[in-house]
Amino acid sequence: MKPTPFATGKRSRSVRTMLAGLAFASMTAFAGQAAQAQDVTTIRVLNWEPGGADYWKALVAEFEKLNPTIKVELETVPFDRYPEVQGPYITTKSGPDVMENNAGLELFDRRRAYEELPPEVLEAGKDLITYSGGCLNFDTTKPCYGLPFGYQGNVMYYNKKVLAEAGLDAANPPKTWDEMGAACEKVKAVGKTCLAIGLSGVFPAYWNFPEIARNYLTEDDMRAMLAGKMPWTDPKMVNILKGLASITQAGWTNSSAPSITMLPDGADIFQSGNAAFAGTIISDAANWAAFGKILGDENLGAMRWPTIVADAPLAGSFSGIESSVFGVSSWSEKKEAGFAFVKFIAGKENAALLSSIAGGISLNKNVDPSILPKSEALTQILEIIKKPTLHAGVLLSGQEADALARGWQEVSLGRLSIEDWTGRMQKALEQSPSKRQ
Amino acid sequence: MAELANLASRPNRAEVARRPFIRRETLIALLFVLPGLALAILFKLVPLLRGIWLSFLETRGFEDPTFAGLANYRTMLSDPSVHDSFRNALIAFATLPVWIILPLVLAFLLFQKTPGWKFFRAAFFLPYIIAPIVVGIMFRQILAPDGPLNAVLRAIGLAPLAIEWLNGPTSALLALTAVALWSFFGLGVLTYLSGLSTVSEEVVEAAKLDGARFWQLLVYIIMPLLKSVIGYWAVLCTSGILIWMFPLIYALTKGGPGTATVLPEFLVFTTTFQFLDRGLGAAIGMALFVFVALVSAFVVRRMYIEGSQRK
Repeated sequence: MKPTPFATGKRSRSVRTMLAGLAFASMTAFAGQAAQAQDVTTIRVLNWEPGGADYWKALVAEFEKLNPTIKVELETVPFDRYPEVQGPYITTKSGPDVMENNAGLELFDRRRAYEELPPEVLEAGKDLITYSGGCLNFDTTKPCYGLPFGYQGNVMYYNKKVLAEAGLDAANPPKTWDEMGAACEKVKAVGKTCLAIGLSGVFPAYWNFPEIARNYLTEDDMRAMLAGKMPWTDPKMVNILKGLASITQAGWTNSSAPSITMLPDGADIFQSGNAAFAGTIISDAANWAAFGKILGDENLGAMRWPTIVADAPLAGSFSGIESSVFGVSSWSEKKEAGFAFVKFIAGKENAALLSSIAGGISLNKNVDPSILPKSEALTQILEIIKKPTLHAGVLLSGQEADALARGWQEVSLGRLSIEDWTGRMQKALEQSPSKRQ
Repeated sequence: MAELANLASRPNRAEVARRPFIRRETLIALLFVLPGLALAILFKLVPLLRGIWLSFLETRGFEDPTFAGLANYRTMLSDPSVHDSFRNALIAFATLPVWIILPLVLAFLLFQKTPGWKFFRAAFFLPYIIAPIVVGIMFRQILAPDGPLNAVLRAIGLAPLAIEWLNGPTSALLALTAVALWSFFGLGVLTYLSGLSTVSEEVVEAAKLDGARFWQLLVYIIMPLLKSVIGYWAVLCTSGILIWMFPLIYALTKGGPGTATVLPEFLVFTTTFQFLDRGLGAAIGMALFVFVALVSAFVVRRMYIEGSQRK
C-alpha cells in the first residue's frame, strides 16, 4: 500500500521536527558538558595516605563539596616508597600539582620543587598550634612551602597482655633504660620479642633516633644539627649511636630486625601479639587506633620511651613535629586550585575529619576535642604531648638517615664498630647538600 | 691495448658533470637508515652525553648546578659504598656459570622427554612472567626467619640450614642472586630448547649407542653444538646480573643489611633520587656503564665470538 502524499508530508515534517529537537538537545547537552569541563579544574595530589584510606576518601569528598569547581585526583604511594616516586617528579619538574612531604629538612631539601605560600594561604596557618615545620629553618618569618594538618611524634606502645604474660605490671611499664632491660629479659623468657623493630628504610631515623637523642641533646644542639654545625664526632652524637646500638646488642629486638622495615614488617610483629613493645608514632599509620583495632583497645598502652639519662633536659619531653605538610609544586599550572587544597588541609573541616575518622591528633585549635574516640592509649598520648620539644629525626638529611639505618644494621650484626659508624655518619653529613652552609 | 681499454672506461668530462652528487641508491639507503639513526641519536647518544655532562656538575639539592670538573669522580672513588657496590657486582657476576649451566641441564632433560617434561616446560617458564617487584615481595616472606623456606628445612631435618637468609652479608647477596636466577632461568631453558631443536636426534642417538651417558652427552656433544646459543645466553645473563636487578633489590633488601646487597644500579638511583645528588649519581652511572661495557666485551669475546667461530 502506497502512502498518500498528505500522510507522507506530515510524517516527514514530524521526522524533521524530531531531528531538529534531537539536534538542539544534543547541542545544549554538549555545550553544557563543555562549559562544565571548562569550569572544573582537576588537581593531582601525591600523598602516602596518612590517616588511612577512609579518611582520605572523606577528605576528598568534603573538599570537592566545598570547592565544586575543583576535582581531586589522588596519587597514593606507600610511605617507604615515597622518596623514590617523588624524586623523579622533582628532577624532571613535572607531575602532581600538590605534594606531601615530612615537615622539616625533608621539605627544606625539596623547597625548589614547591611554590612559596602566598599570605592569603598562610592565613590558615594561624589557626594551627604550629606550622613552622613547613617554613624554612622552622622560622615562620621565612618563606613557607607547605601547611600541616596533624600533630605527629614518637611514643612507645605496649601490649598489656604480653606484659602480664611475662609477669610484669602492665599499669607501670618501664620508665628507665635499666627497667626496660629487666622487662625485656622477662618478655624473652616467655618466648616473645621485647621490642619489635625494623632497621631498613627511613624508620630508624624518624622513629628511633629522636627518642635516644632527647637523652643527650638540647634544643640548641638540635638547631646546630639542622645547620650542619653539629659533627657526628661530638661525644653527644656518639652517645646517641651507642644508645641505639645498645637496643639491638642487648637482644631486646626481633632477630630479623636488620633486614626488615618497621612498616609493615616490624609493626606486624607487634600487631600479631608476638612483641611487648613497639616504638612508632601518634598519628597516621601504625598509631594507637590501628593497633587498638587489632589488639583491642583494652590491651594497648602508650608511654614515653624509657630514659637513658634521667636528668637530661629533654628526657621527659615529647619529640613532636607537625605531621606531613602539603604544598603546591612549582611546575603546576593549576596553582590557585592547589593553594585552595593546601588551605583546606589546614582548615577545621579537615581537622574534624582527621580526628573523627582517622583518630589523628589535629593541629587546628578550633577542633572540638570531644569528637576524639575514647581510648586509654589516646588519653595517655594526649598527656605525653603536653611537653613537646623538637623532633631530631626530621633534622637528618637523606644521606644521614640512610647511613644511620645501614650502620645500625651492621652494628646489630656485629660487623661494624661504633667508631666506624660515627665515621660514616660524619661522611654522610659532609656529603649532604642541604647541610653545606 | 690495456691503455685503450682504460681510456674507453674512463668517463669524459661531460659524463662527470652530469653525474649527481649522491647516487640514487645511496640516497635511498640513507633515507632508510635516517629514521633509525635519528632515534638512536635522540634516545641513546643524547641521554648518554647529557649523563656525561651531568657527572661534571655539582648539584645542591634542586638548586641550579655548577661546573665541578672531576669532583664527583673523586668523591665516587673515595666513597666506600661505591667500592662495596662494585665488589657486590663482581660477586654476583661470579655466579654466571650457574646461570649458564643450570638452564642448559634442565633444557637438555626436557629435550630428552624426561617424564613430565611438558609440565616442567611450562613450570620453568612461569617465574619469568611474574613481575620482578612481585617476585621480590614474595621472596621477602619466603626467606623470612620464620618463613616457609626455613619451616620446610626444619621439617625435613635440615634445621642447621634454616639461617636468617637476608641478615648475613654473603647469604643476603647470594639469596638475592638466587631469587634473580629463579626469576630468569625459565627464559634460558626456552632459549636452549630453541637451540636444541636444531640438533639432529641421530647425533644424540649415535652417541647413546656408543655408550655416552647424560653428562657425557651434555659436555661432549650438546655443549659444543650449542656454543653460540650459550654465548648469546651468557651475554643476556651478564646484563641481567649487572643492570636488571634493581626491582628485586628494591623489594627484597633495599640494599641491606648495610651495603651487602647494594649493586651500582641501586646506588645510582638512591644517590640521584633519595639524596638528590644528581651529579654524583651520574658519575656512578658512568662508572657502571664502563664496567658493564668491559665485562660484556669480555663475555662476548670469550663466549659468543669464540662459539660462533668454532661452530
